[in-house]
Amino acid sequence: MNVIRTFGLSKTYNHLVVPVNALVNVNLEIAEGEFTAIVGPSGSGKTTLLNMLGGLDQPTSGQIFIDDTEITGMKESRLIDFRLRNIGFVFQSYNLIPVLTAIEIVSFIMLLQNYPKDKMEKRARELLDQVGLADKADVRPQKLSGGQQQRVAVARALASNPRFVLADEPTANLDTQSAFNLLDIMLRLNREENITLLFSTHDQRVIDRARRVITLVDGSIVEDQHFEK
Amino acid sequence: MKILVTLAWRNLWRSKRRTMITIASVFFAVALAINAQSFQKGSYELMIDNMVRYSTGYLQIQDVLYEEEPSMDNSLLMSDSLLISLKPFMKRINYMVPRIQNFALASAEAATRGAMITGIDPAIERRFNNLPDQVVDGSYLNGSDHAVLVAEGLAGLLKVRTGDTLVLIGQGYQGSMAAGKFPVKGILRLRIPELNNNAVYMPLSAAQDFYAAENRLTSLIIMPADPDDADRLTEELGEAVDSNWYVVRSWKYLLQDLLSLMKFDTAGNMVIIYILYLVIAFGIFGTILSMMIERTSEFAMLLSLGMKRGRLAMVCLLESLFISFTGAIAGAVLALPVVAWYHHHPIPLKGELAEMILQYGFEPVLPFSADPQIFVTQAVIVFVMALIIGFYPVYKIFRMKTVERSSR
Repeated sequence: MNVIRTFGLSKTYNHLVVPVNALVNVNLEIAEGEFTAIVGPSGSGKTTLLNMLGGLDQPTSGQIFIDDTEITGMKESRLIDFRLRNIGFVFQSYNLIPVLTAIEIVSFIMLLQNYPKDKMEKRARELLDQVGLADKADVRPQKLSGGQQQRVAVARALASNPRFVLADEPTANLDTQSAFNLLDIMLRLNREENITLLFSTHDQRVIDRARRVITLVDGSIVEDQHFEK
Repeated sequence: MKILVTLAWRNLWRSKRRTMITIASVFFAVALAINAQSFQKGSYELMIDNMVRYSTGYLQIQDVLYEEEPSMDNSLLMSDSLLISLKPFMKRINYMVPRIQNFALASAEAATRGAMITGIDPAIERRFNNLPDQVVDGSYLNGSDHAVLVAEGLAGLLKVRTGDTLVLIGQGYQGSMAAGKFPVKGILRLRIPELNNNAVYMPLSAAQDFYAAENRLTSLIIMPADPDDADRLTEELGEAVDSNWYVVRSWKYLLQDLLSLMKFDTAGNMVIIYILYLVIAFGIFGTILSMMIERTSEFAMLLSLGMKRGRLAMVCLLESLFISFTGAIAGAVLALPVVAWYHHHPIPLKGELAEMILQYGFEPVLPFSADPQIFVTQAVIVFVMALIIGFYPVYKIFRMKTVERSSR
């Protein structure tokens, strides 16, 4: 079953001196449980594609379906709620709420979802346990290493029980060991929990572990490889 | 809601210096505004108090035509009906000061001058304005005296001293001739130069005889038991007395020229206060702006994750609320001992300014007003101002595009 489908997705930035075609006629299907890396040189449209799929930006033309729901043209207030319930985000620079502890950060998404309070803490602790941070539950981000912060971000992304997780260059700021740890966790979650993961990355370590690699050049898909791993 | 409050509270302390600077801006604005207002109002209160105590009283009952033409013919009759009208209000009245006031010619051996003759109840006048304290030669009046006190300036012009005789000639009630010889019982030193050059005081009964105005007064000053009751008492007395004959005037009406002057002066001071508000407002706005720049990515990230703009705006508004409230309360609390101190220990004036104020019979001091309304008003104004500035992040949040920032 396809979680994400796009049809003729294009994005042109007209506010620049010369119009730039960031995405050109992208047709894409991501099936449930896939571990996909979107690769390409800088400016190839990776982040733009992720922003479109995450409902953070609207395409100039084309359609995006998440399951059977079309999110292109969806009103912003509905889109915010849709994102909250269907999409998990992991950002390159972690983007954790600096004033909350790890467990509060993970619980925060559930709070926004009006998740039952009595089950919230238990689930937040489980998620932190899954990313190997059970002992850091009450620590604020600035006291965690980059790798640990990104793992909190993964736990946060999973807290809403999303249909898929978008990760924009998640290992870009991490050292090798932290990057491997993070990838191991994400692979395990993908395999054991059947979580759909979609990365944009330059990082060969991520590319090597992906089961599907989509290559973008100048906003177009030039290669779509599937690997058995 | 609890998480929003927690977020707002912790956000305040993630940049302690910025928060403290913003709180300090609100704090100083409130403290300065309260002190400035208190200082101004205190001076006015003292001036009004002096004028009320030594001149007009809080209320006056007059004949309806007296204001239009202040003459003996328009004096009021202390009739039984008037006394009956006043009776229900006696518990709210501390005391009453009956007066007759009219011009006459004062003549002595050497000269003749116009004089303001004031018939007074010596005992009550002592209570009203400490007139006996102004006697610099001779002695104060008794109610049964047929004698006068002459102001020092006028005495000099007429070249009379205690023990001399003063001849007064004027127009009495309903065209009668007012003429009489009065021994000078004492000399008064009045601080208001104009009064000091024309005032003559005599007992009320002697004045009523002189002007052939038995049982008549030009004004009946009423001092209420509670000065704050003056306005209500004026209104109620005005309804109780026979409006065909009597009119009740409050000190606000009688001193309207002074009050207009004060309002004009207040407007000038308000401009300075508004400039203070403006400077402080820009200070607060600066810190809010730096906070916005620092946290734009964070806001966009929260929106990306699915936090509704309204909830995020609420967090920012709560932060502004905490800062504004803390600053406003702290400013008011700090201003309190300063105002209290200068209320009880007014700033003494020295030099020429003090001399000038003394000449007008006022104490040369600058007290602060302890009116609680000043504290509330200034704290609320600055609080609301800071809160309005706090809406800037709210505005920005509702206009923010998530994609520009969140993915960074």
